[in-house]
Amino acid sequence: MKYSADAGLVDYVRQELVPEGLDFNALRENRIAVKINAADAVTIADRFVNKYKARLIHETAVDLEGSGFEMVYIYDFSMLKERLVVVLEAKIPKENPSIASIANITWSASWAEREIHDLLGINPIGTPDPRKQFLPYEWPNATESGTAPAQPEKGEKGVKDMWIPLGIAPKDSYATLIPIGPYHPGVIEGQTVYVKVEGETVVSADIKTGYHHRGIQKLIERRGYHKGVFAAERVCGICSPHHGLTYVTACENLYEAEIPDRALYIRSLLLELNRIHSHLLWIGVVADVIGWKTGFHLTWGLRERVMDIIEAITGNRVNYGIWRIGGVSRDVSQELAEKALKTVVPLKAEMAALLPLVAAHSVVQSRLINVGPLSQAEAFDGGAVGPVARASNWKIDVRADNSPHAMYDPKKINWQVITDDHNDTFGRTLVRVKELLVSSDIVAQCLEYLVKNAGEVINEPKMIPVNSEGIGLNEAPRGELVHYVRASEYNNNLPQAYRIRTPSYRNNAVIPKMLVGANLADVPVVMGSTDQCLACTDRVEIINEKDGSVSSMTWDQLLAMSRRAKVIR
Amino acid sequence: MDPLFTIISIILILPISLVLGVLYSFLIRKLNARFQWRVGPIIRMYSDLSPVIGSTRIWQPLYDILKLMGKDTVIPGSAHKKLFVYSPYMSLIFSILAIFFIPFPGMPLLSEIPYSLIIASYLIIASIMFTILGPVASGSPWGAIGARREAELFLVAELGFVVSLFSVAIAKNSLSIWTLASNMESLPAILLTLVAGTTMFVAMLGKLHIKPFDMPEAECEIVAGPYTEYSGKLLGTYFLSKVFILYAMVSLFIAIFLPPFSSGFIWLPLYAVAAVLLIFLLAVVQVLNPRYLIRKALLWYLKIVVPLAILSLIVAFAFVLGWMVV
Amino acid sequence: MSAHIKILRQVLSKYSSPMTLNYPSGVNPDKKYSQIPEGLRGFIERDKEKCIGCRACYMVCSGRATKYFDVGDKRTIQVFHFRCTYCAHCEEGCPEEAIKMTKNFELTVTDRNDPKAYVNTELDMLTCKNCGKVFTPVKLEKRAFERLSDKINPRVKDVVIADFKKGEGYCMDCRRSRGVMMDAHTKKHVWLEVV
Repeated sequence: MKYSADAGLVDYVRQELVPEGLDFNALRENRIAVKINAADAVTIADRFVNKYKARLIHETAVDLEGSGFEMVYIYDFSMLKERLVVVLEAKIPKENPSIASIANITWSASWAEREIHDLLGINPIGTPDPRKQFLPYEWPNATESGTAPAQPEKGEKGVKDMWIPLGIAPKDSYATLIPIGPYHPGVIEGQTVYVKVEGETVVSADIKTGYHHRGIQKLIERRGYHKGVFAAERVCGICSPHHGLTYVTACENLYEAEIPDRALYIRSLLLELNRIHSHLLWIGVVADVIGWKTGFHLTWGLRERVMDIIEAITGNRVNYGIWRIGGVSRDVSQELAEKALKTVVPLKAEMAALLPLVAAHSVVQSRLINVGPLSQAEAFDGGAVGPVARASNWKIDVRADNSPHAMYDPKKINWQVITDDHNDTFGRTLVRVKELLVSSDIVAQCLEYLVKNAGEVINEPKMIPVNSEGIGLNEAPRGELVHYVRASEYNNNLPQAYRIRTPSYRNNAVIPKMLVGANLADVPVVMGSTDQCLACTDRVEIINEKDGSVSSMTWDQLLAMSRRAKVIR
Repeated sequence: MDPLFTIISIILILPISLVLGVLYSFLIRKLNARFQWRVGPIIRMYSDLSPVIGSTRIWQPLYDILKLMGKDTVIPGSAHKKLFVYSPYMSLIFSILAIFFIPFPGMPLLSEIPYSLIIASYLIIASIMFTILGPVASGSPWGAIGARREAELFLVAELGFVVSLFSVAIAKNSLSIWTLASNMESLPAILLTLVAGTTMFVAMLGKLHIKPFDMPEAECEIVAGPYTEYSGKLLGTYFLSKVFILYAMVSLFIAIFLPPFSSGFIWLPLYAVAAVLLIFLLAVVQVLNPRYLIRKALLWYLKIVVPLAILSLIVAFAFVLGWMVV
Repeated sequence: MSAHIKILRQVLSKYSSPMTLNYPSGVNPDKKYSQIPEGLRGFIERDKEKCIGCRACYMVCSGRATKYFDVGDKRTIQVFHFRCTYCAHCEEGCPEEAIKMTKNFELTVTDRNDPKAYVNTELDMLTCKNCGKVFTPVKLEKRAFERLSDKINPRVKDVVIADFKKGEGYCMDCRRSRGVMMDAHTKKHVWLEVV
């Protein structure tokens, strides 16, 4: 299958969407890159979001080394033209880098701007949320420009929501600050949620991530396109094929890719098997968070059978490692496909019998209904994606409107997008339960195709051109996943910039909204309801504030330090 | 009875209650595991592993406690040291004392003395009180929240517990557990046993932290709840007292609501069957339910347990006043 | 309450047959590793006979697990399993099909330097007749010649082979510098046409 581009789109974008554009560049598959002035970014964002109802997919910045930074805004226009994605690029200078914030127009930019500020030092001017995201709140601002967002002072008036953790102002003394994390049994991976509670009711919340910033983006920029697939897979253990495939899609987007049909079906098959195992895992985790170990074991028992199919097909359980640019590396033999089909069909029947029972359980309902409410307007403004957005009755699914390089063609595969109007954690559960059944349908159809047809699974990749940009969009189990690859200006094997925007990145931004008003006991459930997926880190660093030196602690030192607690007092 | 026999039986009941308590917790764990499609602690070890691990894992709950006894104990700097250290030991002592007032088949122990019902129930309360006091003294927010939940749950569960015990006592006109346990002539109406027994069973769920009432130990919400700051020997002591409390609750239930089973030595097999059935019921409830919110649990108790308690009191009074014939 | 009862039925359905598998016997107690599927990608196995030391595996290794050391007159190609990502890039890239992924996966060692974690392939190297430099594996030279000789235009085949024989045993630098002395045809691109 070959992905074509619409020739007249550049003119359409030039005349209709971005008249301010300086330079228009048609990329492959209806992706248009537009160079703009940095000063126009806000007006364009206002027009895109408010007039055309476009969705900001991601905002990021690229370090162009000598010639400054480049801000990159990626907007989704698939509701106007098929697969249309507009990439706005605005250059800003290296000295006192700053850009007008668009978080006032769409809240979904706020996290991206906080990240850009923390990692690259670009100041978002006029941002509504200047708190540090990756760095500690108390971290001094990297740039000393006059436009830097001021840190709220201890006890300062008028900064009600910008409280500094670990130093609550006297006016806040009615509340208790409870840090959930970095390591907490209800939160599977390391992150801190600073929850301010009054009694057991949450007054305000903020999430801090960045405990496992492993530099995978930089790693891939150093390693080349073909080896990058495996690094991309290792972003996350649960949705690893989705990361791998999104990266592959982005790379195939760089050149005129032609992928064999059989490879597309194998890709869809594995993506959907992964979605089944991920959703089953999620239901188990939520059951565990609300204290129902049985639900956990039952769903994970079913999940184990999906894992066995995956292992038999790919040879690995977690990081499948069969994605290649231009296809897949392994064929699924007909016997294997038949065998898998024999497992999938009864598995679907078992899921259809068990999972509605979980949702019908009275105590489960009492823990999930009206917990973590999120209205459709809030979901749209905050940029929620995936089941969280679909449970707020917003029909958004990348597979339907901007599918990755896998087989989701409605003419060939029969499937539908699931939505729900509960707007709460219970709705998210129902959406996932129904998606499980849809996914197992897709799996069965893919397997039937693989049994009946034969063919090649990989086309040799062509030379990847210089000066190109590729965007991979994919519906991971947690929501829309974006990989952005920009080819180098001179090297055929290395990308110049590579960016990942994970679905949890977006959903984490709406969690504080869902948490306000919740009971403390509901905090893990609400956080779990978005199915957060962070990643892991492995050592402790002590930063000396006085001289800025960094030292690692050994196991013995940590042991000695924890034992010293006995001597105190 | 003979004071010498009483002293001997008091010495004997310590190992018996420990063994039975460990067996009960093993049984709950094993049944839970099998209900959850798992294996659980293995009763007969595989032949290739038995030289390394031992022939059975029935004593797994005891091994867990013994392991804790060998670990380092950390006392947080922010804790009130005396209260923090003594609370687990006090809890253990009171749970052991409570056991002396609950009969075992063939051993009346101290349950013959009048008012032993009141003493036993107070000793159990005291043991639970110290699982609230210690965490409060630990200075940890999780400990404080856990202790608060424990206290709330304890207050409500206590209502059903006490009322169900005393409605039987009212009906039989005695406050000595031994009289209640061995007196078959004044066996109360089957209705009273059913109503009060159900109330007691529900109260037991709260006292033993069986799901849906295990909010004090909800690890996903509040880390380890009351036990967050405890480690090593102190934590082991708390777990040991929990084992004794499990034994005490089960044997108290049998003594009060299944009267002849705790009286003579010949009743031992029936006593064992009753205990296993009770544990089985607890395990089923534990398996089938997620955890309630503390607020919802309190409402549930008010909705279900309070009417049940009132009903059992009414039945008891009806029995005393002769409205109901045996 | 009806949901409770239905769940109880689900729960009891597998009471006698837990999901837990025994290790290492798996589903079938008589056979070891019966739970492992046919296509599992485990440790890398290198065929010492087939390997020619061309370093293609080193070039494509995505986890940088494959390294090579030229020490003395030996080349050692080493795979370090702690770094291996089991991506099978080397299996696909090997021109001689000397690399196979096995089903073996158990790697539990307490020491990073445990020999279990390494796969070493040693190869003899050629020494230059002229300058004494160690330059390429013996097998690689031989195999490269075999592979290329099939593809040379038959019109000039004899000349090329004669040229090759003249330079045999000299390192690249010496061949280049002594090309005139050897009376070789240096403008190979003129006639190295692929058939």
